[in-house]
Amino acid sequence: MGVMRMGYAHVRVTDLTEAKNHYASTMGLYETHTDVSPDGARRVFYKGWDEWDHHSVVLEEGGVGVVKYGWKVEKSEDIDIIEKKAAGFGVTVERMSKGENPEIGDGIRFMTPSEHVFEVYHEATAIGTEVGTHNPEAFPRHLVGVGAPALDHSLVTAEDVQGMEDFLREVFDFYPTEKAMTSLDDDGECVGTWMTSNNQIHQFAVIGGPQGKLHHFAFRLGDWHEVGRAADLMTMDDVPIDVGPTRHGITRGQTVYFFDPSGNRNEVFSGGYLAFPDRPVNIWTVDQLGKGIFYHARELNERFTTVLT
Amino acid sequence: MPTLTIHPTGEVIYLETGETVLSGLYKAGYSYTVGCKRGGCGICKVDCHGGTFSYERPIASTVISDEERVDGTCLSCRAVPDTDITIELRGDNVRLVNPFLRQINEKARLRAEAAIATHTCRQGPPSAGTSEE
Ligand code: FES
Ligand SMILES: [Fe+2]
Repeated sequence: MGVMRMGYAHVRVTDLTEAKNHYASTMGLYETHTDVSPDGARRVFYKGWDEWDHHSVVLEEGGVGVVKYGWKVEKSEDIDIIEKKAAGFGVTVERMSKGENPEIGDGIRFMTPSEHVFEVYHEATAIGTEVGTHNPEAFPRHLVGVGAPALDHSLVTAEDVQGMEDFLREVFDFYPTEKAMTSLDDDGECVGTWMTSNNQIHQFAVIGGPQGKLHHFAFRLGDWHEVGRAADLMTMDDVPIDVGPTRHGITRGQTVYFFDPSGNRNEVFSGGYLAFPDRPVNIWTVDQLGKGIFYHARELNERFTTVLT
Repeated sequence: MPTLTIHPTGEVIYLETGETVLSGLYKAGYSYTVGCKRGGCGICKVDCHGGTFSYERPIASTVISDEERVDGTCLSCRAVPDTDITIELRGDNVRLVNPFLRQINEKARLRAEAAIATHTCRQGPPSAGTSEE
């Protein structure tokens, strides 16, 4: 089936100590590894309690924004197939070898047309979920803070949104579940696309904006109640909340947007309907985009389009 | 007790020691363009026309360039004044959105000024110090 999920988001933080406090104590991720990158930057690796692979979030000290995304494929042959398709699209692909990323196997690396670095891999050291596989409990007894179970998706900006959608469709076999268009006519321009490879409502989304920027990356939660509780914890920990708790019209998911201590936007996300490739794509016109993004306020705040890292 | 003067309106805002420019503005009832409040997005930049400030945390070079470090650019959510400072907002002007908070801030400023005046009186003016020698 090719790409199964976004395996990791690797981001930059200005102050590693503060960032660790946020991702470990507020978000409740589990630290699995620390090291120093070949360039001399300190790094910390995390996973959520319901994830089995070695890590899903990497923090690297120095700067802000996203370094790269890792995509895990189902079969090792998928790497070769994606390599060919990416090269066919005109993208330069390089091989990466096992260990270039701690506990991640061989794979490929390339820069997308949106100028984000993607890595595709098949092997990651499995360390198991925090509840195990033998008669597992429903959740770990001593979760910390929000206790996010897993990384969910990310939204980035790109100058050519349609071009990026074409790229993800051809190279990753992603399909859009929802789109934002300037008009419903044939000459309408795509200004946003929400894409997936399976039943997850979105794995990667792109909106119009500068190349190579991060809008947010999101953690999965169970339901409205957990989203509300996460917002309460953000207040207790003085985490700046951007928007929410509210619902997205797009995906129907429930959400809080907030910022990590370096100003990278995070999200907690729950719900969203099941995606199918044959389901008709939802289209949002720009005049209703406020409702699409923030279903209750029905207004796009200025920050939504201007605040990026 | 640094104060923050907004050019060109001349409004003077009282800051607690260690308080950032942005936090001072908001606490005094003013609103201004703000994003992450954590130094990452660069949307809260203002221009500093007088006085000095320091950044309380490391700032990414993608947010404040080397040039901006010396041309008076002030990332207001991370800048803590070292002295009284004067700033000018970029784009639109500051908006007073909460007169109640402004009143409270004004009273805090007057109290702080009165405290300094009393303190100075007890010590006597600098020129009167000669009698102690
Ligand atoms: S609000 Fe984002 S840098 Fe100040
Ligand atoms: Fe999201």
